[in-house]
Amino acid sequence: MTQLVALWNISLLLCAVALLALAGILLARLVSESRTVRRTEERRRIVGFLMDGNQSPIPPPRGALEQDAAAKVTLELAELVRGPERTALLERAQQISIHRILMRQSVSRSAQQRLQAAEALAMFPKGRERVRQMLRDANPDVRLGAALALAQNQAAPPARELVRQLALGTRERSLLSASLMRDLADHDPASVEELLTDPATPPSTRLAALDALAASGRVEHAPLVAKMAGESAHDRDLLARIHHALGRIGHPSGHDAIHQGLANPAWEVRAAAAQAAGRTGLAPAAETLGGLLGDDHWWVRFRAAEALWRLGASGRAVLERVAREGQTPAREAAAVTLRERAA
Amino acid sequence: MNFEPAVWARDWMLEAAQWIALVVIVTGVTQTAFYIVQMAYAAFALSNRPPVPRSATLWRRYSDQSPTIAVIAPAYNEELTVVESVRSLLALHYPNFEVLLVNDGSKDQTLQRLIEAFALEPVGRYVDSSVPHAPIRGFYANPDLPRLLVIDKENGGKADALNAGINAARCSLFCAIDADSILEADALLRVVRPFIDDPDRTVAVGGTIRIANGCTIEAGRVTHVRLPTNFLALVQVMEYLRAFLMARLALGQMQALMVISGAFGLFSRQRVVEVGGYSHATVGEDMELIIKLHRHMRDLDLPYRVEFIAEPVCWTECPEDLGVLARQRSRWQRGALECFAKHKDMCFNPRYGRIGFIGFGQILLVDVIGPLIEALGYVLIPLLWALKLLALPWLLAFLAATFTFGIAISALTLILEELQLRRFPRARELAILAAVAVIENLGYRQLANIWRLKGWWQFIRGEQGWGAMTRKGFGPAPA
Repeated sequence: MTQLVALWNISLLLCAVALLALAGILLARLVSESRTVRRTEERRRIVGFLMDGNQSPIPPPRGALEQDAAAKVTLELAELVRGPERTALLERAQQISIHRILMRQSVSRSAQQRLQAAEALAMFPKGRERVRQMLRDANPDVRLGAALALAQNQAAPPARELVRQLALGTRERSLLSASLMRDLADHDPASVEELLTDPATPPSTRLAALDALAASGRVEHAPLVAKMAGESAHDRDLLARIHHALGRIGHPSGHDAIHQGLANPAWEVRAAAAQAAGRTGLAPAAETLGGLLGDDHWWVRFRAAEALWRLGASGRAVLERVAREGQTPAREAAAVTLRERAA
Repeated sequence: MNFEPAVWARDWMLEAAQWIALVVIVTGVTQTAFYIVQMAYAAFALSNRPPVPRSATLWRRYSDQSPTIAVIAPAYNEELTVVESVRSLLALHYPNFEVLLVNDGSKDQTLQRLIEAFALEPVGRYVDSSVPHAPIRGFYANPDLPRLLVIDKENGGKADALNAGINAARCSLFCAIDADSILEADALLRVVRPFIDDPDRTVAVGGTIRIANGCTIEAGRVTHVRLPTNFLALVQVMEYLRAFLMARLALGQMQALMVISGAFGLFSRQRVVEVGGYSHATVGEDMELIIKLHRHMRDLDLPYRVEFIAEPVCWTECPEDLGVLARQRSRWQRGALECFAKHKDMCFNPRYGRIGFIGFGQILLVDVIGPLIEALGYVLIPLLWALKLLALPWLLAFLAATFTFGIAISALTLILEELQLRRFPRARELAILAAVAVIENLGYRQLANIWRLKGWWQFIRGEQGWGAMTRKGFGPAPA
C-alpha cells in the first residue's frame, strides 16, 4: 500500500513541478516579448548604419541581446551583397566592433551560434585565424561550416590539411564536401591537385577532387578518373559515382571506361555509364545502348533511352528501330521515349 | 490507511480485484516511464541537434549538392483546393524538384481544374513498373511549367496513388505529402539534411506535422500561427505536439522510429522500391512502409538511418467534428494493429535489435494492449473501489497512472516546445495550451480510448476502408 501511495505522491509532485515550470516559462515569455522590441530597434539601428555609407559611426552594440541581433543582421546583409559592396559593408561593421562580438560568439556553448560566427567571421580578414582554429571544433557541422566559409572567402588551409582535419571521405561523408572541393579548386587548384597523388586520400575524396578540378576547367586530370574506374571494380557505389563524374567531365579519355561500365554486372553502374554515354556524346556506344533498352532494370532502360535520344540522329535511329522491331520491354522503352521527347 | 473490505467479499474476490488493479497500474506506469524516457531523449536530441541555419544560408549551402526530389501528392476529389495546393508546392524553396500530382480517379472536377489552371496537355512519360498500382490513364504537363506533372490514374487509394508517383519519379529521393497539406516554404531544404550529411546510410526522414486550424493562410502559406477556437482542434494541437515533438523525435534519436507520417516524409526511392512500395491491404500504409524498410535493411545487414527532424513543418487541417475525428482515430488504431499483426515476428526478435525491442515494444504497449487495459481500468477500478473490494491507494495509483502523470507529460512537452522551438508567437497561446494539457485528461482522453477500442473491434472483424474524411479546407483568414 505504501508504494501505491508513494506513486500517487510522486505523480502529484511531478505534475506540480511541471506545471510550475510551465508557469515560470510563461512568465519568462511575457518578459521576453518586451525584448523583441529592443531587438527590432537594434536591428534597425545597425542596418541604418551598415547600409548608409555617409552616416558617422554609431556606438557599438552594448547588451548581449543587442550584440546578438547586430551579429545576425550583419551576416544577413553580407550574404546579400558581393564584391566592393560587401567590402564596404564589412569595413563599417568593423567600425562598430561586430568582429569582436563574433569572436566571442565563436566560443559559445551553442553550436548554432558558433556556426553562425564562423560563417560571418570568415568574411573579416581579422577573423580568419579564429575560423581556422574552429576547424578543430567538437561539432562536425561547425567544422565543415568553418571550412566552407574559409574556402568561399579564399582563406582555406591547403586541401590536404582540410581532408585530414575534417576526416573527409572517412568520418565526414557529407555531400557538402564536394562543394568544399569545388571552392578549393577555384582558388587553390594546386593544393587540390596534391590530393590526387597523395596515397592517404580516400577514393571518394580523390574523385570529388578530380570532379572539382574538371569543373574548374582543368580537364588534364580527367584520365585519372578513367584510371580510377579500372581500380574500383570491386566497389559498385564508387564505380557508379565515377561514371557520373565521367559524364559530367565529358573528356574523351573516359570513353573506354564508359564502354566497360555499360557491361558491368551491377545495374547502378550500367545506369550511370549509360547516362555518361549520353552526356559525353559517345556515338559508337549506340548499339550497346540499344541492347540496354531491354535490361532487367528500369533505371538502365530509362538512362539508355535518354542517352540514345541525346546522341542525335544515330541514337534516334536505334530508338526507332527498337520501337518497331524490338521485344518487350525494350520496345516500350524506345516507343514511349520517342513519344515523350518529341512532345 | 485502514481498509475495511465489504462484508460480503471473499478472499479470492479481493485478490482478483488487486490483480486487475495491478495489471492496469503497471501498464499505465510502464507507459509513463517510457514517455519520460522519450522526453529525455527528445530534449537531448533537440539540444544537440545540428545547427539550424536560416533558409538563405541553407539555399547557399545546398544549391550545388542538393539531390533532386520528386514531391508526390495524391489527390482524390479535391477540386476546391487542388489548384491552390499545386501553386503552393511549385513555390517551394528548393533548388531542384518536381511535383507529381496524382489524381487518384477523382469523381469530381479535380483533373479538369488542374488542366485549365495550368494549361496542361497530354504527354508521354516512360515510367517504371517496379511497384504495383492501378492503371494510369494519362500524363499531363505544360512545357512552361517543367516542374509539374499530373498523373491521372484509376482509383486505388492513397497507397496506390503514391506507388504510381514512385514509379513515375526520376530522382533518387521522393517526398510523400498530402495534397491538402501545406509545406513550409523551406521544408524540403530542411528535411533533406540527413540525405546530404549521410547520403549512403539515410533511407527515410520525417518532419513535424502541425495543426493549421486557426492559423492565417495566405496564398498557400501559413502566415500567422494561431490556435484554433474549436476545442477538439485545440486538443489535437496538444496531441500532435506530444506525438511529434516528444515521441517521434525521441524514437528517431533512439534509431527506433516506427512511423513517418503519410502527410510529410522524404524517402530513398530505391529502398522503397526494394520493399515493394506502399502496401495496399492496410490503412496504416505509412507505418508499414517504415517497418518494411527496417526489416529490409536489417535483413541485408546494412547500416542505415531513419531520421526525424523537428524543424521542417507540414501544416495540416485536423477534424473539428466528433464523428470525423472518431473515424480517423479508429482507423489509426486499426492501422497500427494491422502493422503489428503483419510483422509480429519482428517483435522482441533479437535479429531486429532495437526495432524489435523498442519499436515493437512501444507499439505493443501503447497501441496493442494500451487501449484495452486502460478501458478495463476506467470501468473496473472505480467500481471495485466503490464496492469496497479495493483500498483507496489502489484508486489513487490508478489516477496517478492515467491522469496526473498524463498532465505532467503534456506540460513537459510544452516546456520543451517553448525552450527549443518557440513556434507559438504569443504567451497567451502557450497559456491556453497549458490549460488544455490539464483538461484533456478529463473526458477527452477517455473518449479517445473508446475510439481506439472501436478500431480494435474493426480490426478483429477485418474491416477495410478509410471512411469518409470531410475537411473544411483552408478558408480565408480569421478576423
